[in-house]
Amino acid sequence: MGKKLLIDRVGIEGIRYFDTYRKHGGYASVEKAFKMAPADIVEEIKKSGLRGRGGAGFPTGMKWSFLAKPEGVPRYLVCNADESEPGTFKDRYLMEFIPHLLIEGLVVSSFALGSNRTFIYIRGEYAWIVDILEQAIEEARQNGFLGNNILNSGFDCEIYVQRGAGAYICGEETALLESLEGKRGNPRIKPPFPAVKGLWDSPTVVNNVETLAAVVPIINMGGDAYSQIGIGKSTGTKLISACGNINRPGVYEIDMTISVEEFVYSDEYCGGIPNGKKLKACIPGGSSVPILPANLLFKTAKGEKRMMTYESLADGGFQTGSMMGSGGFIVLDEDQCVVRHTLTLARFYRHESCGQCSPCREGTGWMEKILNNIEYGRGKMNDIDLLWDIQRRIEGNTICPLGDAAAWPVAAAIRHFRDEFEWHVLNPEESQKRNYGLANYAEPREVVAS
Amino acid sequence: MPKIFIDNTSYEVKAGKNVLEACLTLGFDLPYFCWHPAMGSVGACRQCAVKVYKDENDTSGKIIMSCMEGVRDGMHLSIDDKAAKAFREQVIEWLMTNHPHDCPVCDEGGSCHLQDMTVMTGHDYRRYDYKKRTYVNQYLGPFIHHEMNRCIQCYRCVRFYKDYAGGKDLNVFAAHNHVYFGREKDGTLESPFSGNLAEVCPTGVFTDKTLRQHYTRKWDLTSAPSVCQHCSVGCNTIAGERYGGLRNIVNRYNAEVNGYFLCDRGRFGYEFVNSENRITKPQVMHQAVDENALMHHLETVLTNHSLIGIGSPRASMESNFALLDLVGKENFFCGVYNEEMMLERRITDILDSGKIPVASLKQIEDADAVVILGEDIWNTAPMMALAVRQSVMKTGGREATEKTPMPEWHELAVKELQQNTKGFMVNVTVTETSLDEIASLNINAAPDDIARLGFAIANHIHPSLELKNFEEAVLAKAKTIADELLKCSNPVIITGTSCYNDPVLRAAFDIAAALKAAGKAPAIAFVVPECNSMGLAMMRGHAFDTAVRRVNREPNVTAVILEQDLYRNLPAGIVDEFLSKCRNIIVLDSLNNATTEKAHVLIPASTFAEGDGTLISYEGRAQRYYQVYVPDNKYIRESWKWLSRMKMIISGKANGHDPHHDSVISSLETALRQFAGISAAAPSSGFSIHGEQIPREPHRYSGRTAMLANRNVSEPKPVADGDSPLSFTMEGYQGTPPSSAIPFFWKPGWNSPQAVNKYQQEIGGDLIGGNPGVRLFVKSSGNMPEFFKDYPEHFRERQNKWLLLPQSHVFGSDELSVYSAGIAGRSPEPYMGLSPVDAKMLDVTEGSQVTIKSEKEEYSFPVKIVESLRNGIVLVSKGLPGTQGMSWGNWVELAK
Repeated sequence: MGKKLLIDRVGIEGIRYFDTYRKHGGYASVEKAFKMAPADIVEEIKKSGLRGRGGAGFPTGMKWSFLAKPEGVPRYLVCNADESEPGTFKDRYLMEFIPHLLIEGLVVSSFALGSNRTFIYIRGEYAWIVDILEQAIEEARQNGFLGNNILNSGFDCEIYVQRGAGAYICGEETALLESLEGKRGNPRIKPPFPAVKGLWDSPTVVNNVETLAAVVPIINMGGDAYSQIGIGKSTGTKLISACGNINRPGVYEIDMTISVEEFVYSDEYCGGIPNGKKLKACIPGGSSVPILPANLLFKTAKGEKRMMTYESLADGGFQTGSMMGSGGFIVLDEDQCVVRHTLTLARFYRHESCGQCSPCREGTGWMEKILNNIEYGRGKMNDIDLLWDIQRRIEGNTICPLGDAAAWPVAAAIRHFRDEFEWHVLNPEESQKRNYGLANYAEPREVVAS
Repeated sequence: MPKIFIDNTSYEVKAGKNVLEACLTLGFDLPYFCWHPAMGSVGACRQCAVKVYKDENDTSGKIIMSCMEGVRDGMHLSIDDKAAKAFREQVIEWLMTNHPHDCPVCDEGGSCHLQDMTVMTGHDYRRYDYKKRTYVNQYLGPFIHHEMNRCIQCYRCVRFYKDYAGGKDLNVFAAHNHVYFGREKDGTLESPFSGNLAEVCPTGVFTDKTLRQHYTRKWDLTSAPSVCQHCSVGCNTIAGERYGGLRNIVNRYNAEVNGYFLCDRGRFGYEFVNSENRITKPQVMHQAVDENALMHHLETVLTNHSLIGIGSPRASMESNFALLDLVGKENFFCGVYNEEMMLERRITDILDSGKIPVASLKQIEDADAVVILGEDIWNTAPMMALAVRQSVMKTGGREATEKTPMPEWHELAVKELQQNTKGFMVNVTVTETSLDEIASLNINAAPDDIARLGFAIANHIHPSLELKNFEEAVLAKAKTIADELLKCSNPVIITGTSCYNDPVLRAAFDIAAALKAAGKAPAIAFVVPECNSMGLAMMRGHAFDTAVRRVNREPNVTAVILEQDLYRNLPAGIVDEFLSKCRNIIVLDSLNNATTEKAHVLIPASTFAEGDGTLISYEGRAQRYYQVYVPDNKYIRESWKWLSRMKMIISGKANGHDPHHDSVISSLETALRQFAGISAAAPSSGFSIHGEQIPREPHRYSGRTAMLANRNVSEPKPVADGDSPLSFTMEGYQGTPPSSAIPFFWKPGWNSPQAVNKYQQEIGGDLIGGNPGVRLFVKSSGNMPEFFKDYPEHFRERQNKWLLLPQSHVFGSDELSVYSAGIAGRSPEPYMGLSPVDAKMLDVTEGSQVTIKSEKEEYSFPVKIVESLRNGIVLVSKGLPGTQGMSWGNWVELAK
């Protein structure tokens, strides 16, 4: 059984409320942190090896140390709670069931970064969570963990919750800042980076909910201890939101020492595939990371066991690997159609493209149309090549990573499941009646007990 | 200079530019959409991709957007790289997935940047076989037609309209591949710079609605270089004609004047040329006559009486000079009162002294601080206001990028760093103006107080006088402004005649003089009312008061009135009296007006489209406009031609040939020394290149042999143009003409206005051969200027009297442009502005009718309560129907 640092207390009744949370060790990190110098807190975070949990995995301590500190200019911490990646719902879980953990992390982080006004930019659809967070903020304020002169430290901090209006692109940090400033959420061109000029012309750090929550155990246990958990550069624990064809969908905290196979089949986590079906493919890190067929999921191309770590999931690059991403673990069983699945994702990315730069704006719509034709038996053989061509020209040529996020799933689907696409084109009528099934790229495996 | 390698050939390029600019300057054809030389790079369209290599050994390279990458010494690039080419083609293919391909029915066709770029990339085969997305179009007012389906989402429109020009009612809506550019709902685009959308848009989303009403393709237009007639800025334009009607006005790039843009009054005001109100036949005593009868009549009138001439601020130098030449210097008058004339004379004196250089629009854009004294330039010289906006924004950008270096072309990044940082600009005006929102400081005051503040600023910068009776608050403000100005190096002071107040002009000069004394490099700009007011003022005619005295003294006078409506600027009673005393009244004009009705002899004058002439702008820049077409009416001729003929009648050579333009301009140079050099404004009529003239028609001009076949099946011989180096044909020199004689921008592969790239020495820089126009006020040596020092008394309200001042309107205050339906539609209803206190005192509310009583006239207008107006001033819309002949700058009585 792996170590749990974030959601270990979720089962406690009333943990959503301050008193219970406090009784169970809540806000201890604030008391500890406020006795430290802000620079030392940043140092602890660096030592912990914590990597951004939003998807890119950038070392958090490094990000914090980039924050410019000009005289007379406020600094801002912004919590990115615009969790919109299909398949990812870990932040929601965290905010819904243990909101004070985030608030606690925010107070410590605000103190470390010198942010007197901290914002939580939350996905518009998470309306009910706004109420939960606001109540938690109010409780924290009443108990002296927010507001002026927190714990007599002389440090003031207010946390504001801002709802987004439902755009995926606003989860991109610069688009998020634009939106937070009340503007159209188009990504900014970098440089300048937010650490220099972010929100309202001021140095800003934007961190994911889980990242900020992880600050709490790091302060409590110390950066060194935290860095001992996990393998290599994948330190600490990671929330994985598992969904799809598994027996136990939900949010799991893993300590990044387990294998993918264990994660899928262990009863502690996903609990295997329902109805004795076979695993066909899996997206290990949220909808934008490459899909992996079963034969590449549990073992890397080199034949090594694939672990639930940043490095191991990325092993083999995009040819034979994928990414940890935001931890949205989507499992497809043998009954699922990869073409249909890819179409669903393409539709999502088309809809969420902001429309700023040509490749993404026009390319995503075109890809959706082609996939739509293939899925509904109107596809042509050269459509597959065209699809490949379009995604290849989008990737790396857009202003923000949304273009990449839209291109990668299509690329991976064609790369690994090309025969399924071809089967759709060659058997238009049949493809309307049944799915392609497992075919030959997914080696059926027996359930392995953990 | 950095050396870069493009496809293994080395080139020297200018530092600080981006790769796209460098490539275009070198003459490479690299496609682009969202980048604009005046608006910088945002990297949205991804069209200008090239390959960049780490060094000469790198063979794989990386695709970059050339507009987003600065040039670096030793940079290795490839434009021809296969992958880069394929990507550029792919971008066009993406854009074309939704573009309707309706070129045959699209107004942009033939001058379309999207067409050019599509051909340039080589994309020709469509792989997209799905339905295209469609939009609902909007009504955007009389100037701009909207066709959203054609949009390729380059974002140039909103970037120009909002960021560059400060407009608020055009925006981008929706997202993904359904992005929409338009207004929040149907309605007229409010910005007076909206017409530029037609040129900024790379395709046919925003097109010229006035052209649409008499549509002609660019290649079918007979075009000539022209100069805008609707204010004193002198923007360079290109006017196009077909079938005897003027079809459109487009921008003619001049790096020092208007750059890439025009205001809507200049772009859409041209339709007065096609107006029903044109004078088409000579009239004697209101009877149309033929040329013989006219000449016969003129002979009697001209030879038997003494002549006086009234020159015109909206007629060319040639016409004004021909009038002066006809009547003699001592009999040459201006159509304004002495007081107003003295203002213009003050300006020409200051500029002529050369102590302070005059600021071109380009210099205003580059200024690091601007002070505006008493002139609402948004309404009186819109393009100058646009230049001031650029100064404010660019200075702010420079300030913001001081610590975090960022090249100026990197627009979004600079904006991000800049946020609300703006350059220093003080807007001191009588009432609120549209420039207020970007000003560091807005001050509304009466003209005398504006002048006093100006003198106080000057004194703070360079103590030269003793300030008595100055309020502390004024001194404090002056100190703030002076301190800010002392931080700058090349500030510009802008003022003008709208306050009808000489001290304001002197104060503006004193600020500039003080800044010069403080070691700065200031420049000054004086806005004058009309397109050739500066030229007329430089001729130093006598004031109208003298002319009135003259006709009262001398009974037998023939007045020759050149191209102006005296009733517009002078009280009707005075004009009536003057005209009634004249024995004969000869009027030359293009449009009927109150003065032409009084003419005994009425002669049809050409407009700018049918004749050649030279105008002198506010900066003393002499600029030539060329005849666009030969009207199908032999009576329509330049006034200078008619006046020269009259002179020949007097000298008994009535049968001689009409003089050519060259001879008129050289006589002007000889006769009036202040105009020496004016002939260099444009090449003379004898100019040719390899024996060829410059064709007014593009080589694709169609229908030449057929368009007049309904009259005669033989194609008529083209009319020879003895006045200019341009020909009325499609044959002639096909290369780059001299910069002042460019009839249209076209180069192989570049059909759209963006062909201007190929006419520039560097992208966004000067035209090849220098920018058009000759500045007649030449900077003199570094002598320290003398200060005026004589500040006026505090403005005091008077019992039952109000100071009458004009409120100008971009649309409506100009005499000629209101004959264009679109401009007329945008003109406001005239009103009378009063301060809240004055309104209360008069017991009137918003909308009540109040009567203005001046010496001889009475006018009645609805009241508008203007919060920012000082007590004791009444503001009336200038130039609108019912506001003619108001005695601006005088004290008037008001009655309910």
